[in-house]
Amino acid sequence: MKVHEFMSTKIEFIDANRSVYDAAERMVDRRIRSLAVKFSGEEPGYGVVTSRDIVFKVLAKGINPKKIKVSEIASKPVACIDKDTGFENAATIMEKSNIARLFVCDEGEIIGLISLLDVMAAELVAIARGDHDS
Amino acid sequence: MILEKLLSHGKKERDVTEDIKRHIGLLCTACDTFKTAVERDDPDLVENVIQLEREGDSVRREVISHIYEGAFLPYLRPDLCKFVEIVDEVFDLLKDTAFYYLSTRLPERIKDDCIRVALLNFRMCEMLLISYEAMLKGKDLRDKTLAIRIYEKKVDDLKYDLFEEAKKVRIDTFWDGRMLADLISGLTTISDIIEDASDHLQIIHVSMR
Repeated sequence: MKVHEFMSTKIEFIDANRSVYDAAERMVDRRIRSLAVKFSGEEPGYGVVTSRDIVFKVLAKGINPKKIKVSEIASKPVACIDKDTGFENAATIMEKSNIARLFVCDEGEIIGLISLLDVMAAELVAIARGDHDS
Repeated sequence: MILEKLLSHGKKERDVTEDIKRHIGLLCTACDTFKTAVERDDPDLVENVIQLEREGDSVRREVISHIYEGAFLPYLRPDLCKFVEIVDEVFDLLKDTAFYYLSTRLPERIKDDCIRVALLNFRMCEMLLISYEAMLKGKDLRDKTLAIRIYEKKVDDLKYDLFEEAKKVRIDTFWDGRMLADLISGLTTISDIIEDASDHLQIIHVSMR
């Protein structure tokens, strides 16, 4: 099964110059664990900021989230896979990179996101379809 | 195995089981055709979906009449008929959705998500067919019903986003808005009924043990 069949297309973006407080507010409001970060200027592209980054890099260290920019804690570049990648390959990349979510890209643009839960669900569907029978 | 004996004892039973398979197969074709029609924005393909519904209707009538002509033990007949009727409900809703599609213009901002829902509906039909074939062989349906629930949850996740996006679409007349709402509603309700069919298949499976 290809990742585009099961990816989530509900992706929230935030500008890299916004504060970590803005990012945390957005995550809590939308009940999501990560935001795609849009970088512009000399080094355009995408990054990612997760709830883990905010808690460990800012809140746990007693830093005021209003005084730090998203760009300072975001990871860049993002791990991106093609929409026609199979779930098994996606799982291998996640395992090797020790990450819980992968962005799905098409011609350099983010079009979706897959999480560990999506990988598990896809695997259960593959078992039901008999894809592993041989 | 008792299930195989119950389901393939005589010619009448074999005819019914084959016709039900054909009925679900037609539904798969109709769902796939609808997905392709939306992808290509092809009204002729949408018309094909309406034709396939008519064909499905005639298969349903054949199945019901064969059952009441004496196929299967009487205690099994209502459950088998109910299953065929649920599959037919999916056909009806797909036909209505195809009609709404022809009566409105699908806004570009929701087109991709509509195609994804149509693909998931098709995958669910495929899984229903796999599930039915597994039942005929007396196999466990647990992993198949779980897969259908997973697909249904995916459609549900998309449903609310679709309505949220649809709210942002500029609507000129009441009927434009009504048709668009009915299109989204139909497209995202198909999965609920396929899930009902899958649950009913599980009931038939258990009742025949």
